[in-house]
Amino acid sequence: MNLKKMLSKNSILPNLLAETKEAAIEELIDFLAENNSISDRDAALQAALNREAKMSTGMQNGIAIPHGKTDAVSELLVAIAIKPGGIDFDAMDGQPCTIFIMTLSPEHRVGPHIQFLAEISKLLGNKELREKLVAAGSAEEILHLLTD
Amino acid sequence: MTTNVVAHTAQHVAEAAGSGQNITHMMMLLVIQLAVIIIVAKVGGYLATRFLKMPSVLGELISGMIIGPYALGSKIILPDFGPLFIEHAGFAASAELYGIATLASIILLFLAGLETDLAAFLRYSVVGSVVGLGGLLTAFFVGDLTAVLWPSNGIHNVMDPAALFLGVISVATSVGITARILAEKRKMASPEGVTILAGAVFDDVFGIVALAIVMGMAKVSMDGGAVDWGGIGIIAAKAIGFFVVVTALGLTYARKITSAIKQFKSKEIMVAICFGLAMLLAGLAEMAGLAMIIGAYIMGLALSRTDLAHEIEENLEGVYNILVPIFFCVMGMMVDFSAMKPVLLFGAVYSLLAVFSKVLGCGLPAWAMRFNARGALRIGLGMLPRGEVALIVAGIGLAAGIIDQGIFGVAIMMTVITTMLAPPLLMKSFNGKSGLRKELAGSSEEVDSIDLEFPSHDITEFLLGRFVRALRHEEFYVNRLHTEQLIYQVRKDDIMFVLIEDGTTLRINAAVEHQPLVRLMLTEELLSLSDLLEATQKMEDLQSMGSGLLAGMFC
Repeated sequence: MNLKKMLSKNSILPNLLAETKEAAIEELIDFLAENNSISDRDAALQAALNREAKMSTGMQNGIAIPHGKTDAVSELLVAIAIKPGGIDFDAMDGQPCTIFIMTLSPEHRVGPHIQFLAEISKLLGNKELREKLVAAGSAEEILHLLTD
Repeated sequence: MTTNVVAHTAQHVAEAAGSGQNITHMMMLLVIQLAVIIIVAKVGGYLATRFLKMPSVLGELISGMIIGPYALGSKIILPDFGPLFIEHAGFAASAELYGIATLASIILLFLAGLETDLAAFLRYSVVGSVVGLGGLLTAFFVGDLTAVLWPSNGIHNVMDPAALFLGVISVATSVGITARILAEKRKMASPEGVTILAGAVFDDVFGIVALAIVMGMAKVSMDGGAVDWGGIGIIAAKAIGFFVVVTALGLTYARKITSAIKQFKSKEIMVAICFGLAMLLAGLAEMAGLAMIIGAYIMGLALSRTDLAHEIEENLEGVYNILVPIFFCVMGMMVDFSAMKPVLLFGAVYSLLAVFSKVLGCGLPAWAMRFNARGALRIGLGMLPRGEVALIVAGIGLAAGIIDQGIFGVAIMMTVITTMLAPPLLMKSFNGKSGLRKELAGSSEEVDSIDLEFPSHDITEFLLGRFVRALRHEEFYVNRLHTEQLIYQVRKDDIMFVLIEDGTTLRINAAVEHQPLVRLMLTEELLSLSDLLEATQKMEDLQSMGSGLLAGMFC
């Protein structure tokens, strides 16, 4: 899967402002809504929160992958955000999360939605890359790190 | 290409007229023969799978040998009608019976075409194509040369139709039994397993093209013409041209054809028409100087990418289960033990060389690309068993008078030996370390299992079903393999893994590199189960629903 096709400067939020898990998800949804077409922002937010309620998407080593399925979007939407200070995201290892990969995918349309998450997760297995991403500071730099 | 059968039919009809038998009597005999064949073949097939752990085709073949005219068949006497099975003009089956066997071979190849994963053929690994092609060429030339170099069998030229047939008979791998062993050893998603399965797809397609070329050459030779290298070029171009052009046309128009057929709105009618089209193309292929099974295979291939493919497979399964064993049993019946005596040694050598030709032909390219000797041996052994297609080709050769009964027996012998040798050897070869070269071993291509245990078999099956649906939703190609155990092969670009239902365990064999995807998707499916649980809780109390259903039953 080609990450370059999926990512652009407009899909990267270099400094997430939120301090709580719910606020972070809301900020990411609003960021997605600003740059893409989401027919129902509240439904999209609810989908992500519902998924989060079933099981936290806070993984290990500071990574979180909040996501939701909703027909408020017509194609896979992706946002990547960094919060150098970290947020408590109920992560599996109990550590605060610093890198957030948010995806919204249409519920009734086929496509490589989870495959995108898997691809980017594979990249983030690299400790050095994670550290560089947190230290990057700008959308250009983050995009460059993920796609080159 | 039906010289023998035609001559035999004429004689048979004349005999029937001469002896005062009418067509009703011929049909009665046919029906009784079919009854015996179906029952004996099915029981034989069952015994082979149940007790020998071998494919049912082996039991069906052996049943045929036992009840054929050269064994018990001629000793079973029907009052007033004579022996149950009797040889006519050097042919073990009557024309009517052979007709039914031919129909079965068309169904077999039509379904083989339908099941061919064309997307994988077009997009899948280079190693698969090299391994498939290596095995094909080596097996063909070794088979052909063995026939020529063997003294006293009357074959002196590599272009002799009989030599060409002995070459092409040893080409087609039957990967069914290999798939079962790979699943048993949990090696389906191993680099060797993937290569074998991909190689087998290439082997199928190239094998059919090779048969087309050989049929063309044999036809020219049989008509008394000499086949020189220029001639071969033209025949090969024609055969490949027919294959490529008709397949391309089929693929281009398959969707249009099926959407026209769908106007009938009845699955039965749609499936029957598709089968009719397969028979039509089979007939046209024979008219064009190729074999009927080539046409049937191409029609299957063309329809394999339409949404009707699954319906056709499902609806023809019943017919397949009854007719195809008849075909293998009839092939067994044709083995004339007395004609085989003089060629027994030749048969043994031919079979042995058929083993080496595949092991080396597939193993060497695999070794040259990325496997070590152990891996190469596994791949060679996996491609070793010959089966259905070899038998069909041998049957065509016998019916056309290209090969005699002795050589036909040799072909059957080779099929039986390779099929029986493969499982124990393959099982043994998979003991031990990685089959990849040192520099690749331990890499992300290493395969590992993810096991999920559920409280009941029903839940395992349910979750597997959901997982398959989710994978298709993610645009993966999910193929169910023809094994008793529920096994799915999942593919997309360079990703490949296998789902196996093993009792209450759901096992996923995947390369380490692809495990994050599997884990993420499985987690989502597990979570969706909780939605389902919530929904069931919202249902009316189950007990009151049940009593609502049963109330009044005993009033």
